[in-house]
Amino acid sequence: METQLFHIFRNTPLGRETLLQSIYFCNTLGVSLQVYIPKFTKFLMYFENDVVQIDLDESYLSFPETAIAHATELIEAGGKKPKFLEPKAFTASTLPDIPTNFDFMCCPRSISDLSSKIGLGYIGPRVRRIVKSAVFPVLITSGAFKQWKSITVFFGGSANATNSLKLGFRIARLSNLPLYVFTQADGKNKDDIYAVVKEGCLESDFEKYVGGWSFFQGGQLEENLYDVPHDSLAVIGAFGHGLIKDFLFGSKMEIIQSILPNNMLIVGPNYSVRR
Amino acid sequence: MPLTRIYRRFMNNNDRLLLMIIGAIVGVCSGIAAVLLNRSLSAMLEWLHHYRDYYWAFIIPAIGAALSSLFLEKIVKEGAGHGVPEVIYSVSRYGGLLRMRSGFSRLVSSCLTIGSGGSAGPEAPIVMSGSAIGSNIARMFNLNERQRITIVGCGAAGAISSIFNAPISGLVFTVEVILGEWTALNIVPIALASVAGTEISRILQGNQIVFGHGGFEIDPADIASSLGLALFAAAASILLTRSLRGMHHVSEKVKAPIWIKAAIGGCAVGIIGMFTPVALGEGYHYIQDMIRGDFSRGIIIAAVCVLTKVLATSFTLGWGGSGGIFAPCLVIGSLVGLTYHRALSLIWPSAAWVDEGYFALLGMAGLISGILQAPLTGIFLIVEITGGYNVILPLIVVSAVSSSICHYIEPASFYLKDLKEKGQLLRPGTDARVLSDLKVTELLETDCIAVHRNMLLRDFIDIVKRSRRNYFPVEDENTGHFVGMIHLDVIRPFIFNPEIYDAVVLEQIMDTDVDIVPPDADLPDVLQRMDAKRLFSMPVVADDKFIGMVSKATLLDQYRKELIVQTTTA
Repeated sequence: METQLFHIFRNTPLGRETLLQSIYFCNTLGVSLQVYIPKFTKFLMYFENDVVQIDLDESYLSFPETAIAHATELIEAGGKKPKFLEPKAFTASTLPDIPTNFDFMCCPRSISDLSSKIGLGYIGPRVRRIVKSAVFPVLITSGAFKQWKSITVFFGGSANATNSLKLGFRIARLSNLPLYVFTQADGKNKDDIYAVVKEGCLESDFEKYVGGWSFFQGGQLEENLYDVPHDSLAVIGAFGHGLIKDFLFGSKMEIIQSILPNNMLIVGPNYSVRR
Repeated sequence: MPLTRIYRRFMNNNDRLLLMIIGAIVGVCSGIAAVLLNRSLSAMLEWLHHYRDYYWAFIIPAIGAALSSLFLEKIVKEGAGHGVPEVIYSVSRYGGLLRMRSGFSRLVSSCLTIGSGGSAGPEAPIVMSGSAIGSNIARMFNLNERQRITIVGCGAAGAISSIFNAPISGLVFTVEVILGEWTALNIVPIALASVAGTEISRILQGNQIVFGHGGFEIDPADIASSLGLALFAAAASILLTRSLRGMHHVSEKVKAPIWIKAAIGGCAVGIIGMFTPVALGEGYHYIQDMIRGDFSRGIIIAAVCVLTKVLATSFTLGWGGSGGIFAPCLVIGSLVGLTYHRALSLIWPSAAWVDEGYFALLGMAGLISGILQAPLTGIFLIVEITGGYNVILPLIVVSAVSSSICHYIEPASFYLKDLKEKGQLLRPGTDARVLSDLKVTELLETDCIAVHRNMLLRDFIDIVKRSRRNYFPVEDENTGHFVGMIHLDVIRPFIFNPEIYDAVVLEQIMDTDVDIVPPDADLPDVLQRMDAKRLFSMPVVADDKFIGMVSKATLLDQYRKELIVQTTTA
């Protein structure tokens, strides 16, 4: 069955960069691209146990007369066949329902607020809800199109991080790109972390795909992140901890996304692993 | 034992008890929401009452409708709609998932519309709010789809029970209109939610009968005369349904911001209301007057009031105001009943007809049953809000006849019409629902052997010997693109002629005019195409690549499994 990435197109220079990133992602992994050009500023995504309303900022509706032509041009230049999603169901006349049976979804850092908020350190509330509810990973792109030449998985040993690692293996297998693992151990030693790999029966994949393991037992995460290659796709697990733990200790993903300008693939707690 | 494990064990073992507890909680919450809306509406109506006599008062409904529309579109960013169809849609397609914002958005918007004089009722908004509260509480408890639907029903039932002080109506309305199925799993929690909602209303507002009356002396002739009223009630229901939809279509053609449209509708209502005040607001006190026999206007005025109320409701709801049709139905129904009584008195002046309030009650039941095509809701609602069972027999007659006539003329009720037209009404256990829950990708048969267009017949016959299938997809050997199909029947004439085995290539005999199915196609459409072309199976092709076959045999197999899942969990 074909693997699909869902992309919401914005007919602006920023939207062009995001679409280029999606096209590159699809070409690298052999994934087909499904593009939605919104006609309304809002739509609904019904997940298994949540419904998320996405309120797009007005820039998503800009210049509708050229939107299809611009998107088609970029997609065809990227060697792909343009496929546009037309919503079939509507909760209300101005509120289309967008399917959620994709394998990946591409989001800018914010889709509900003004484009001025696309800087680092900000992920919009809707993007968070999508990450929390989706069974697919969410590709959060860098501000300008940049090709990635390796994959870096952030692996701290949690269940969500194990899913990220599995996704990293899958991407490495599909793209033939080198895979690195980054661990901010916070007191744990390497054996403890590797035990999680063994527990998940991932040793053989680990040996096969991992080209390097940046393991930091100490130091600030913010400082250690400098080790992540600038042209690497960061694969990160997010929102895997409970509310209390997140409240007390904060979220690693939030720190990483506020510092790292790379393209990021964020794996939420409901992500179902595909091999 | 950790709390989560205790909770999970409890959930697994006490599914019904858990639903009953959550249902009662949801009933309380939606009951409180209903009381809040009721109080806010009363306060707003009282506050604006002093301004009604000014010459500019016609713009009050316009301002209210515009503010209501702005609130819905710009502040809470909720799509417009009456509320109940959205709940039915969500129950039918997405297991009752509703947004958190729907829990309060309609309360505020309907308060602005109705409080300013818009002709609408607070019942649909409160159903939407109660259902959204239920849905979000169900989500918090991580309930599955079936359980969540039940809890959404609890929200709707609690809300209706609370606003009308009518627990049976809440239960019946929910099961008859919202869920569309009576099951043991549903009824007990919904009944509890109805009781909880009603009790909350009684605690906070007192145990009041909404439209109390002193009882009626009913003769068999009165019951017989109710048949005629049922006809008029059905006609009024059809008129209201068509007028609402027509007005909505007209407003859709107007190119203006949505709040301007709402203001135009509100302005029209304000102007109508200056001449016939009964057209304004929810109009409950007029109903009370009619039931008590205090509505003194003559037959012509009563008939005109029916038309103006229909028009005002259509302007309010069709042009973007927020509210429901319950209250307008009750007002129009009682006016129809009154007009009918006056007409009877005019035709047979010497006949001793029962009080006009009796006909007002029957008219209300006729309208509710007709427009919702839900006779039980009509019967129980009128019995409960009028506080007496002595009219139950004519109520049954009027409700049954009115809903039957309406069903004959308009096969779908007002709430379901749009959903049916779009094929989005998927009641549990129905063919449409079962098919909608199946995907083409679930039915894929991937054991087909693909062959190349330049393959010799001899090689192909070798493949046929190894295969158990009748269809063979043909692919281009360079690109892998799907180019056609070969059916076993096509090679039958050649099988017994080995001399041509090396002279025929598949490209010469393959069928290139093949109907293909994309993997994301809707199954009902696929079936329709199969039936139209008398096909038994079709190839599924994505990105020009053959990925499998979809056949009626596999569909039947999966259909049965899905039907068993849906009906046994029910």
